[in-house]
Amino acid sequence: MTRRHVPAIAAALLLSLPIVVGGAYSALAAVGVVGVGAAGFTTQHLSAVLTSANTWRGIVWTLGTAGVATIAASGAAFFVALRVRQSRTGRVLAVLPMAVPNVAAALAALLMLGQSGWLSRLTHKLGLTPTPADFPALVYDPAGVSLVMAFAWKEFPYLALTALAVLLTDTRELEEVARTLGATRRQAFWRVTWPRLWRGTSPAVLAAFAFLVGQYEMPALLAPSDPTALSLLTYERSIDPDLARRGEAYVLALLALAFCGLLVAAHAAWRDRAGAGVDW
Amino acid sequence: MTSHTGFFQAAALAVGLGLLVGGCGASPSGAPPSAQALAGGPWDAVLTQARGTTVTWRMWRGDSAINAYVDTWVAPRVREQYGIEVQAVDGQGPELVNTFVTERDAQPGRAGTTSLVWINGETFAQLQQERLLGGPWANRLPNATFVDQASPIVNRDFERDPAGYESPWGMVQFALIYDPERTPTPPTSIAALTDWIRAHPGRFTHDQQFTGMTFLKSVMYGLAGGVQAFQGGFDEDRYRHGRDKLFAWLALIRPSLWREGRTYPPDVAAMHRLFANREIDFTMSNNQNEVVTKVRQGILPPRARALLLDEGTIANAHYLGIPVNAPNPAGAMVLANFLLSPEAQLEKQRGDVWGDGTVLDVARLPAPWPSQFTAVVQDSAAVPREALAAHARPEVDPRYHARLLEDWRRLTRSGIP
Repeated sequence: MTRRHVPAIAAALLLSLPIVVGGAYSALAAVGVVGVGAAGFTTQHLSAVLTSANTWRGIVWTLGTAGVATIAASGAAFFVALRVRQSRTGRVLAVLPMAVPNVAAALAALLMLGQSGWLSRLTHKLGLTPTPADFPALVYDPAGVSLVMAFAWKEFPYLALTALAVLLTDTRELEEVARTLGATRRQAFWRVTWPRLWRGTSPAVLAAFAFLVGQYEMPALLAPSDPTALSLLTYERSIDPDLARRGEAYVLALLALAFCGLLVAAHAAWRDRAGAGVDW
Repeated sequence: MTSHTGFFQAAALAVGLGLLVGGCGASPSGAPPSAQALAGGPWDAVLTQARGTTVTWRMWRGDSAINAYVDTWVAPRVREQYGIEVQAVDGQGPELVNTFVTERDAQPGRAGTTSLVWINGETFAQLQQERLLGGPWANRLPNATFVDQASPIVNRDFERDPAGYESPWGMVQFALIYDPERTPTPPTSIAALTDWIRAHPGRFTHDQQFTGMTFLKSVMYGLAGGVQAFQGGFDEDRYRHGRDKLFAWLALIRPSLWREGRTYPPDVAAMHRLFANREIDFTMSNNQNEVVTKVRQGILPPRARALLLDEGTIANAHYLGIPVNAPNPAGAMVLANFLLSPEAQLEKQRGDVWGDGTVLDVARLPAPWPSQFTAVVQDSAAVPREALAAHARPEVDPRYHARLLEDWRRLTRSGIP
């Protein structure tokens, strides 16, 4: 560590302090040393969580819904950003949903997509469903359709904003240079626009994904009871009537933390490798 | 790699600092007199000490009717009469235990943040188990004289003797909620409910939390020999017997439940929403009068009524406790005493306020209180007091609830045996 790094490291440390302290406390609580119901060192919480099929089904379901939502939101954000980058109104409209709180988005999804919601009444009015209850179950459904839609809708503006920031910084000029040098539209897109777009937005895409994995409010309102989303499972354990089981919440929280850590590390490694040859 | 090494050194330092801070907290500091010590002295001294203080009261803040009673009726009166500021903040039962254990881990022996908590049942048992409640103090309150100590619902909290560590505040009873227009002849026994559910597929369910489990527990009482079969502490064999009967019943009705019992509403708010939107025909509540207040708030349809099953429904009391690390036990005691006063209990019982049953023995109150309690306008949607009393079944050891929740999640909800 050289001297000029000191202020930066100090600032980073200050920001990561809650994670470091929280992680250390959770690690101790996960093995029954501190926390509610702690009765001395035990591996019981670890084995209870890691051997439970519910944990893994919950994790797979959580990663799946967050993954599908992130892909959908990224695709839509890139598409829209590429289309509206020259239009001020378009840019404003694209980022508008950012102003809606997560809980409000989930409640809106509930009101629109529930079996007694607007859509079901509309399809009933149009004669598409015999009764509103025949509308397919999109809320509390095992596939998590409404949750994925709410997730994607909430992440879209954030990703669109990031994509627009990339596209509005010199990209147009570089595309024009490529075209002047004889590249086709397609070539200019795949050789200039797309690499810049992906490289510039990938941290945001990862952040959106990690955020959705840890999201609590939206699954609490829209997710099915089975499989149980990781955040719901963690909260359930943290308030379990059996105090001896509350330590399991810390194991689940550490799993989520470890997962996000792995994601950040993998991304950093990928960037280091990808960035070795090219530097804009 | 230099910066990485630096990071880990810094991280280790941070953890070390954290432990150091935690360790320093162990030194004794100017703690206020405990609730137990105050209970041993004259009441006037408690009043004097409480004047000019603030009481932070951690409670469930999820119902606007309850919040309005606390913030706009109780708080101004306590400020005027006793010079105490009431600060009601959010913090529900199971989370309280986590909060206080964290406070204790971080600053052992020091005053915490909370002076009064709203608790009962498993939370009371857990707080006692972790030695997080101060006391005894509750029987010292001047208004404790009028508490209905003969009532088995009030004098035992899930079979546990409050023993002066919590002061009773109110009493509620579980009820199903239905709409007489949609269901003109509602089922009034478990057998009739079973038939009704099977004849109306997709129109009945329960939530995954406390209310839903209370419903399942009362069905378990009904199917396995009544509440008597579960009284006298937790017994594994009796639990398994009751659970097996209940789960056989659930297996029978499950295909006819809402969404074929593959998913369950997350909480009662979701139940009320599904009921109001006509997706299901019954919702439920731990408070028989919630139907009255929720109709007034427009959350439930105007015709909604409470329904009790012949086998009886679970009634329980809720209480106020003072944490062992309370910064202001004197203020908390004065507030708890005020909440137990006939005027505060009467106001709370009004259907248009909260509809929470009193824990006082109304007949023993001095005039004119008894007639005023009787005169509290009985809403047509409310269940008459006699019917409530006849159907009330006490709670049993909280471990029955914990085990039932655990087994329901494992065997029924996840469907993985």
